[in-house]
Parts: sequence; C-alpha cells; structure tokens
Amino acid sequence: MVGSLGRRVVLGVYALLIIIPLLVVLTGSFKTTEQLFDAPFGPPSTLAPTNYGSVLTDASMGTAFVNSTVVTVTAVALTLVIGSLAAYGLSRIPGWKGFALYGFLVLGMAVPAQSNMIPQYVLWQRLGLLDSRLGLVLVEIVATLPVAVFILTGFMRTLPRELFEAGSIDGAGPWRTYRSIALPVSLPSLAATAIFLFVIQWNDLLYPLLFIHDPAKVTLPLALLNFQGEFLTNYPLLFTGVIVASAPLVVAYVFLQRYFVAGLTAGSVKG
Amino acid sequence: MNTRQQGFSRRAALQLVGAGGVGAVLAGCAGPGSTGGSTSTGAASISGEASGDISFAHWRAEDKQVFDDLIKKFAATTPDVSVRQDISPSNDYQSSALQRIRGGSVGDVFVAFRGAQFVDMVEAGLYTDVSNQDFVQNFDPALIEAGKQDDTQFGYPYQVVFNMPVTNADLVSKAGGGSAPKDWDGFLGLCDDLKSQGVVPIAWPGGDPGNAGQLFNAMVMNNAPSDDMCTKIESGEYKCTDDWFLTTLQQYVQLKPYFQDNATGTAVEPCQQIFATKKAAMLATGSYHIAAVRALGAEFDMDLIAPITVSADEAKYEGIYNATFVLGVNSASKNQAAALAWLEYLSTPEVAGVYANGTSQNVTVKDVEYTNPDLKAIAPWLTRKTLLAPRFQFNNLDIRTAVEGACIAVVGGKSPDAAAAEAQRVVDQQRGQ
Amino acid sequence: MTATTETRAGVTPAADRPRRGRRRGAHGRVHPGLWFFPVPALLLYLVFFAGPTLQAFQYSVTDWDGFSADFANVGTSNFGSIVSNDDLFRGALTNNLKFLFVVVIAQTALSLLLAVLLQRNSRSSTALRALFFLPAILSSVSVAFVWKFMYDPNFGLINQVLGGIGLDGLRSAFLGNADQAIFWVALAQVWAHAGQLMVIFIAGLQQIPAELYESASLDGASQWQRFRFVTWPLIAPATAIVVAYTTIQSFKAFDLILGLGGNPPKGSLDILSTRIYTTFTNSKFGYAAAESIVFMLIIAVVSLLQRRAVRLTQHGA
Repeated sequence: MVGSLGRRVVLGVYALLIIIPLLVVLTGSFKTTEQLFDAPFGPPSTLAPTNYGSVLTDASMGTAFVNSTVVTVTAVALTLVIGSLAAYGLSRIPGWKGFALYGFLVLGMAVPAQSNMIPQYVLWQRLGLLDSRLGLVLVEIVATLPVAVFILTGFMRTLPRELFEAGSIDGAGPWRTYRSIALPVSLPSLAATAIFLFVIQWNDLLYPLLFIHDPAKVTLPLALLNFQGEFLTNYPLLFTGVIVASAPLVVAYVFLQRYFVAGLTAGSVKG
Repeated sequence: MNTRQQGFSRRAALQLVGAGGVGAVLAGCAGPGSTGGSTSTGAASISGEASGDISFAHWRAEDKQVFDDLIKKFAATTPDVSVRQDISPSNDYQSSALQRIRGGSVGDVFVAFRGAQFVDMVEAGLYTDVSNQDFVQNFDPALIEAGKQDDTQFGYPYQVVFNMPVTNADLVSKAGGGSAPKDWDGFLGLCDDLKSQGVVPIAWPGGDPGNAGQLFNAMVMNNAPSDDMCTKIESGEYKCTDDWFLTTLQQYVQLKPYFQDNATGTAVEPCQQIFATKKAAMLATGSYHIAAVRALGAEFDMDLIAPITVSADEAKYEGIYNATFVLGVNSASKNQAAALAWLEYLSTPEVAGVYANGTSQNVTVKDVEYTNPDLKAIAPWLTRKTLLAPRFQFNNLDIRTAVEGACIAVVGGKSPDAAAAEAQRVVDQQRGQ
Repeated sequence: MTATTETRAGVTPAADRPRRGRRRGAHGRVHPGLWFFPVPALLLYLVFFAGPTLQAFQYSVTDWDGFSADFANVGTSNFGSIVSNDDLFRGALTNNLKFLFVVVIAQTALSLLLAVLLQRNSRSSTALRALFFLPAILSSVSVAFVWKFMYDPNFGLINQVLGGIGLDGLRSAFLGNADQAIFWVALAQVWAHAGQLMVIFIAGLQQIPAELYESASLDGASQWQRFRFVTWPLIAPATAIVVAYTTIQSFKAFDLILGLGGNPPKGSLDILSTRIYTTFTNSKFGYAAAESIVFMLIIAVVSLLQRRAVRLTQHGA
C-alpha cells in the first residue's frame, strides 16, 4: 500500500511532528523562564543542568520517586495477574453469563472517577487505607481493572479455542491451560496492557491528591505540583520535572517492547 | 480524637443502608450539628496548651519559602508546636480541599478563597468561630469583613490584592501625560495614544477564564446600578439582558482593538511576558501578578489603573480590591490550640510584614511596614475609593463562567445581544436546578 | 513448546467441530474451574468500585450539595433538567461528540497506518515505535503545557511559522476561537495518543500468522490486497479495542481539557467529564451524580453503535 519512499516520508513527517514539541520541553528544561519565552523554539544558551539540580535535589522528589515506583510496579503487576485471570475465565465461559460478567466489569471504564470518589474516600478512610501505599495500590487496581480486563479479554477471545481444547483432552485443568498455554501466547497483549497500565497509573493525579496527605507517601505527580505556583508557573522547572518523571516510563517501555518480539514467535503458534 | 473515631465507626454501619447513612458519615467528619458543636470545641481548646504538630493547608506554592522561614521563626518562639505546609495548586485546592480538610488529618489551619469556597466551607462546618480572639485587633476591621458569615468571624482574610489592570507607569505617562483617565472617553483616548506609539495597550488573557474575568470587576463597578450586582444576577433580580450589562458588553467590543491580537486565545503567561518586555502597557489581571512580572525581568515602575466606564461625575469607584486567602482553624482539628497559636503569630504586624514584603502582596493586618518598592507604589490604593471585587459575589461557578464568558465571547466576535441572551439562559437554568 | 501446541491445535478441530451444528455448541460444556478465574477481579471490583459507584447513584435523585448533613429527595427532576433544560450540558455533549468523531477517526487511522508501517521488528521500527509512543508517556497535564505553547497566538510555533511564510491572514486564536477550539484540542489528543494505540495494533498485527501473508503473496496479491483481505479482517479484534478505547478516552479527556482550557473551561471547550467535575465543584453533587448516569448511558449507546459500525466495515463488504 505504501511504497518504500512513501513509507519514509510518512514516518519522517510524523517523527518531526512528535520531536518538535518534545524538543521544546527538552531545551526548555535548560532555560530560564525569560529565555523560554524569548525564544521558545531556539536552542538553550547553556547545557548547565541547573534545573535538573533543583529538581533532583528537591527533598520530596526522591521520596516521591520511590513511592511512585513501588506503588506503580505493585499495582501494575497485580492488575495484570487479576485481570488476566478474569480475562481468561471470561473469554472461555460461553453464552450470556460470561458476557454479562464481562460487561459488568468493563462498564467500569465508563464511570467518571468524580462520581465515585467521595464514597470511595469514605470507604478507604473507614478501612484505614488513607495515607497508605497499600490503599493507593488498591484504588489504582480497581480503577484500572476494567481497562485491563477489556483489552486482555479482547485478545484472549482471538486465541483459537482448539488451543485450550487440546489441553483439556490431555487432562490439563483450566489452571494449567492458563499458565502453560494462555499466558505465554498472550505475551504481546500482556505487554501492551502493561504499558497502558503503567502510563495511566504512573501519571495518575486524582487519587493520590485525594488519598495521600502525608509528605512521606506522596507520588511524583503530587511532587511535581510543588513546582506549580498559583500565579507564577515556572515552566522550565516544570518541564524538567516532566522529563525526570517520564524517564522511568521510557525504561519500562523499552523493557516491555522486547515482548512484542517474543509475541511474533508466540503468534506463530496458531499457524 | 478517640471518641470521634468511635462515633464514626458506629455510623459506618449506617452507611451501607443508604444515602442517608453516607450523608451522616460525611457529616460525621465535617463536624455535624454544625457550628454549635465546633464552636464549643474551639472555645475549650483555647485554654489548652499549644503543642504538637499541625498542618497548614493552602494553595500558594510560590509562598512556600517565605512560609518556611516564618515557620522556623515560629518554632523559635513556640518550640512545642511544629507546622507543616500542605500545598496544592489553586485549581485543585478549589475542587478537592473541602474533602481533604474535612477529615481533620490535614489543614489544622487552612485557607479558603473568598466567595463560594468560603461560604461552602462555613456551611460544611469546617471553620471554627474565631470571633473572640484577642488578635482580631491586629486586623483592619474593614478588610476582614469578607471572613464573616452571619456576624460571626469564621476566618481572617490575609491578602489584599487589587484585581485591576497593572500598568507600565513609564509607557502610560508618556502617552497620557501622567494623570489617570477620569472617564470612558479618556480611557479609550489613552489606549489610542498607546497604540499609536506601537505598543499593545492592554494585554488581556482571554484564553484563561479565571484571569480574564478580573477585568470584569472594573468594567461593571460603575456601570451596574448597585454594588451587589452579581448577587442580584444570581438571584434573578438583574438580567444579563439589562441595559447596564449590554452597555458593558459593548464597551468590551470597543476595547477589542486595544487588546493584543487573538486575545481570546492568549493564556496568562504570554500576557505577562508581553507586559514584562514592555510590548504592552497594561496587564489586565491584578496586582498579584506584579511579583511574577518582576521575576520575568521587568524593571520599570508599575502602578494600577481601572477603566472608568462612565462619565467622571457618574463614577462611584476608582478601582477594585479583594481580601482573600481566608485563614481559619479547622473544626475537626485535634490540635486547635496550636492552630490558633500559628494564626495569632501570622497576625502580628512584624510577621505579616515579612510575608507581605516577601511575596509582594498587601495584607489585612494593620500597622505593617511595606518596604517592598512595588507594595509602596500601590499602597495609596489601600485608601482610595475601591470596590470589593464583585465577581466573587457569585456563589455559583457556572453562573460566573457564563456571565464572564459573555464578555469573552463578544471580544471573539459574537454580538452583545446574542451573548447576553445566551448567558441569561444559563443563569435561568442554573437557578432552576 | 511451539511445535507441540501446533500439533495439538491441528488435531482437535477435525475431531470435534464438524459434528456440531451450532458454533457455540462445542463449548457449552464449561469446566467448572473456569468460574473461579474472574472471582478475584469481581470481588475487588464489587467492593471497592461498583459499591461506591452505586452509592453515588443514590444521590442522583437528591439535591445533595456534597457536604451538608441533610438533603432532599427531588425524584427525577435532575434528569428532567439535564435532558430538556440545560444548555451547559447540551453544549458539553455537542463538543464531546465533535471531539469524539474527529479523534476516533483520525487516531484510529493514524495509529493503524503507523502500526502497519512499523510492524516488522527491525531496529529502525523499534526506535520509531518508541519515539511515537513517547507523547503517551507524558501526563496529560504536560501535554497540555506543550500544546498551550504551540497554540499560543503570540509566541506559539504555528502562528510564528504562518507569519514567517507570509500567511499572516491564517494566524488564528486557536483555542480562543469558539467554533474551532474543540478541534484543536482533538489534534493535541491525537498527537498524544496515536502512538499508544499503535501499540495495540502492532500486538494485533503480530498475532496474525506470517504464513497467511506468504500464501497471499504466492497468490500474487498486491500490497493493498494483502492489507484489505488479510490484515484488515484479522485485526478486527484490535480495531474493536482501539475504537472502543479511544471512545472512552475521548469521553474522559479530562486533564487535557483542564490543562488547555482552564478550570472551569469555557463553554467552547467543555466536554462531559469536565462538565460533571464543574458541577461537582459547584457543590451540586446530586446533579453531578445524575449527569454521570446520563454520561454512562451515552457512552454505552455510542459504544454499541460503534461496535456495529466496526463490524459492518469488517464483515460487510
């Protein structure tokens, strides 16, 4: 459909569209506010990492970094486990019962967080889960579970039934089929889902804002807010914070991308 | 504190029963039976020892340093109390502060925006009655009226800001010959002069509704038939389609050529930049931006100006002020004595002076010595004929957005009649809901 | 492992499938153990998500302000107002549908195009995939900062370029232009998320057996034909996921709107999620709860319609 030249042009133009705004952020992180407005798209006059110094030495930043990592990694892992279990079961329970359960879970995607945050707040408070990383992990899991189930079930439904039936004939129970067939074959979609979850949970602001008051428990988006004043927004510092906060996600992405390659092999199973 | 939690868990069972239960639980953390109960707690703890850790919740991230310094000094005088700042940015503070502070785990001392938020927080029983504190004398009584509800002093507004355009005094005096325009023709003439000199007369952040609305204050202060015009729009007594409001909208249309290009799409930071680099003569937001503009490198003298939209003899007001950052003691606080001690400390003239000069904002505390040159320059406005910013009379944010939105829409090209009718429809619908 | 599964997969259908008339019949016998799999998800979801949501629903028939101890039951009057007498809600709905329409079409097409172009695991594809995914990593608030900068009428890149090449007449207020504003937000949204959905398409593409392409090539199919008759039908599940996810995402594009439009945003930038939030901020919790129910219904209807539409394009022709 697209010849080699066309392919290059499309990819090149799109790459530029992505790069230019990101360059503004990157170069901006080396500028002062004045310089940024003076020549927002010009190169920085210095590469001295002054802003990075201020961000990284900020006391709250280190704590926030650790908290975000602990909370997000735990929550993503648990969401994937719970979500893939549900997706596997729901994609194999035929008829309206399976679909109804699936619909019920997935409906959660349509619920605006604002409509249940007050009852949730009260519930968490009662259980003593406010101001705790465990409480945050829990709320992130339930808030993203619908998305995870939605994506994973969608993919698991595409797996040929024969794959599992073969397993049952061999006498393997559903647990073994899940572990030794469904999971390995679904690696690409698990990786894709993991990336989605990472992005959503790592950047989430609403729940930490509501549930976390203790400075020792803040996450990165909360810490970044400190750079934002009421009337005076320090864009360069904010941009720097954005870069620092995004770096782990880049790592997560690069790490998870390897599984797309694995997926190519897994995909051939169905041939 | 223990009793509170027990009561809470007893109520918790109710919560599962239904909406009424949840209401009770929420009210439980708010301090139900409302003000009566919390007042007595407040009175009791005044006699208690001021000690322990307290949280000070506010939205001024840019004041963090100044407050940190003050907290250190406070610790020297009151070693048993330690204060922690809980800062969230104003937008988030606007929307989630109520929920967070209600529990009492944050914000032993907290603040509210004057207007809807303060009213809501008083209604929610968050503010402890602080009428009978000795340090009330430290404040200018006229300036802390905004912290009263039904004759009870629930909070002390701390900052005094002037929500009217800031000027580059050099550019304006070159154009207008020094004296501020006394009427609408004079103001338009000044804008014309500035434009012919090649500068943007008014930098107005029409793309940022919160800041764009500040100009609204000065535009209606003399046009409206009464000083509580926004309350009356909200109550239905006045309509956006009334003559005085249509006149205001037409005057916005007249100002359009004097705003920067594509003003309805300009955010506030670029406006500050245009103003700081002397490309614009006025910044149509308020005195609270002076520090930000200085931080951008502006070195010229600054003053304030308000468009007088009527003839000189009809003008009632010269400008706009607002008393906000309403400090209060949390009724759910476990440590009200310490909270009061911090509040008292902030009310002393020396401390208020450090805050004012450190943040370039006037304060409601009396006898403060302003050493910051910008504050000195605008200090005369403290005694001029100014109106308490009317836009904060709106208690319904949707009505406020609709009314101010009409002013933005006409600059974007909508006809005043259509914009007014549209806004009034929203007002009517909101009143009906 | 690959080899064994392959043989197994090859054996069963022949033995099992042809004897059953109904397609689903073969799977009517559910291993009882399967019912345990969704249990942890359902339990957590029921207690910590569905429960609180249902409680919020109870408020939709009240005039609760969100903090007072008492409130009155107002029956269905909240719903009545929303449906028949609320310009703000209707305006937000209209904006949201415009936004949705542009984003769903543009983002799906773009992410599919990128996925097809980058589906092979070469070094350059991998690098470009990472680059295109980058904006999705930034929080929406950061994306809003970037695009506020791009769209700024005075300092922004777009107007500067237009001015630079002599097209001053085209300089625009962008987000300040009431008729266009929502479309400019849509553009920022596509910029931020096309690379994210590309990942879903790539996962879908990589689950298509390479042999199918090989046999299609052997049959002399052109590149377009291979896409039309192999890729497009076989990525149906991925397309369904992308379209549905984009739809939900477009309905909930909340941080981006607040970042670009201020809080509360102007009418020209208001969408349903920001409308609900503003109503909530405005101390009308009961009304906001009613709005969220209508909101969920709208999402459900739009999603169902879309499912139909996607199926039609996939199987219809």
